Amino acid sequence: MKSFAQKHQKIAKVIWNKPESHADFRIGLTCSSVYENALPGQFVTLHLPGNMTPLLRRPFSIHRLIKENKHVIGIEILYKVVGGFTEKLTRAITGDPIDLLGPIGNGFTVSKKFKKIALVGGGIGIAPLVFLADAITENGVCLSDSIACLGGRTSDDILCKSVFKSFDLTIRTTTDDGSEGEQGLVTRPLEKWITSHRPDMVYACGPMPMLRAVADIANKNELPCEISIETIMACGLGACLGCAVNKNKTTGKYQHVCIDGPVFDAKTHIF
Amino acid sequence: MRDRKFCVDIGGVDLKNPVMTASGTFGYGREFDELIDLNQLGGIIVKGLSLLPSPGNPPPRIIETPCGMLNAIGLENIGIEAFVNEKLSFLKNFSTPIFINIYGKTVDEYADLASRIDELDDVAGLEVNISCPNVKAGGIAFGVGCDAAAEVVESVRKRTSKPLMVKLSPNVTDIVEIAKSVEGAGADSISLINTITGMMIDIAKRRPVLANITGGLSGPAIKPVALRMVWQVAREVKIPVIGIGGIMNAEDAIAFLIAGATAVQVGTANFVNPRATIDIIEGIDSFMAKENLDQVGDLIGSIRI
Repeated sequence: MKSFAQKHQKIAKVIWNKPESHADFRIGLTCSSVYENALPGQFVTLHLPGNMTPLLRRPFSIHRLIKENKHVIGIEILYKVVGGFTEKLTRAITGDPIDLLGPIGNGFTVSKKFKKIALVGGGIGIAPLVFLADAITENGVCLSDSIACLGGRTSDDILCKSVFKSFDLTIRTTTDDGSEGEQGLVTRPLEKWITSHRPDMVYACGPMPMLRAVADIANKNELPCEISIETIMACGLGACLGCAVNKNKTTGKYQHVCIDGPVFDAKTHIF
Repeated sequence: MRDRKFCVDIGGVDLKNPVMTASGTFGYGREFDELIDLNQLGGIIVKGLSLLPSPGNPPPRIIETPCGMLNAIGLENIGIEAFVNEKLSFLKNFSTPIFINIYGKTVDEYADLASRIDELDDVAGLEVNISCPNVKAGGIAFGVGCDAAAEVVESVRKRTSKPLMVKLSPNVTDIVEIAKSVEGAGADSISLINTITGMMIDIAKRRPVLANITGGLSGPAIKPVALRMVWQVAREVKIPVIGIGGIMNAEDAIAFLIAGATAVQVGTANFVNPRATIDIIEGIDSFMAKENLDQVGDLIGSIRI
């Protein structure tokens, strides 16, 4: 896990904003050149200029970088409509100003040494895994020996299946209601796959119970595993310390998603 | 450098402009260095420090509320020694006065912190947070009683000659009598208000939203309460008053100056827009130009009633 890109705040412009599924949208925003150094797993915070309600900025993972002539000209955010902020965000149209701050936090460890990889995404937690898959393949690692386990409540929550198909990896999907793939938890196909294909790295992003289950499986099998945690946050700068999550096993201290994460080592995280 | 018209004196410290950062909303300063020029600020008040490091409260620590936020961070901080060794050298690089906000669980802890800070040449002054529970008085906050508030301020006053700003809790029956009491105990200035105690409940779980059950409300929601208290206090004390509470833009800051504040602190707005302080300084400048005012002092206490 590393972090080095300098943070930058600017009024970005909406490039496009379109529905992805019944409750998910995809927005493209212009960004500064600091995002050339953005890492998969890092996030940004958004604010709708002039809005007091909702008041605080909202964190979103970077779903993908938008490139033109090999240069980063924008970022894509995949978001679920869950409340007042995201509802307002769906109404943004091309050219609208959005206050963009980032990139924030650390990123997933990308290494040529990891040849066989398990990507585990739950619901909107699938979003940053696409940027991760982009970075892995750009780093020269072919994902054909790897797996993406994608879980959700219903088939609508299984996002980016066609994108993952383009990476030529094995895809397993699970839903709570069985409307897509296997009925049950995303950890079931993961566990099955792990026993026959010992991966070099497990990456996971999704709700806390899923992360806990994935971390348990990885730790039990002594596999390296990085989990990306989402939480309520105010500043995103390490100033308010409001985004504290569980303690670190080694230091015994609370970890803060914006400065210590959002990516954490599954071995040192106390759930 | 801005011209002289922006300078204010807050009880022995000259600020180049009346806009400071509120404790707990600006980290140790460095967190905002990538985003704004810290030299432009009137003053930086760093995160509240205790004698020893404090782990803070369990999560969840924050929740957004209508036009505000509720927090129970639990004053997580690295402790005074780590601050001196790891953070202060960075802050020395700036011309902006640095204030250390202190809190303790006993009067002696406050006094020991004051002694330590008195030795630090790079620190302009102290802000004393008296809203903390006094463990020797069954956990009642020092700042809700005149005697306890005065006792803390007197003990700090004895141990430092540095300018002393005392930050008042709004969770009191009569803010004016507390203000007079800390003024009598030796405060050089008074800052108010700290957060208002509040609570949120998750009705599906029938549980408090914050792990700490209660928290402190901040943001635009508390601005009218803060303005009222600043106005009440400023007309009853002789020392400068620093206004805090939901200041989001220059108009808010100007209202506090008109109510009688000599300077302001910007808090929650730093989370919403890290450039808020800079925008506010520029906005006060524009307002003064529009109103043909020569100095910021022409605004302070200029309320017409």
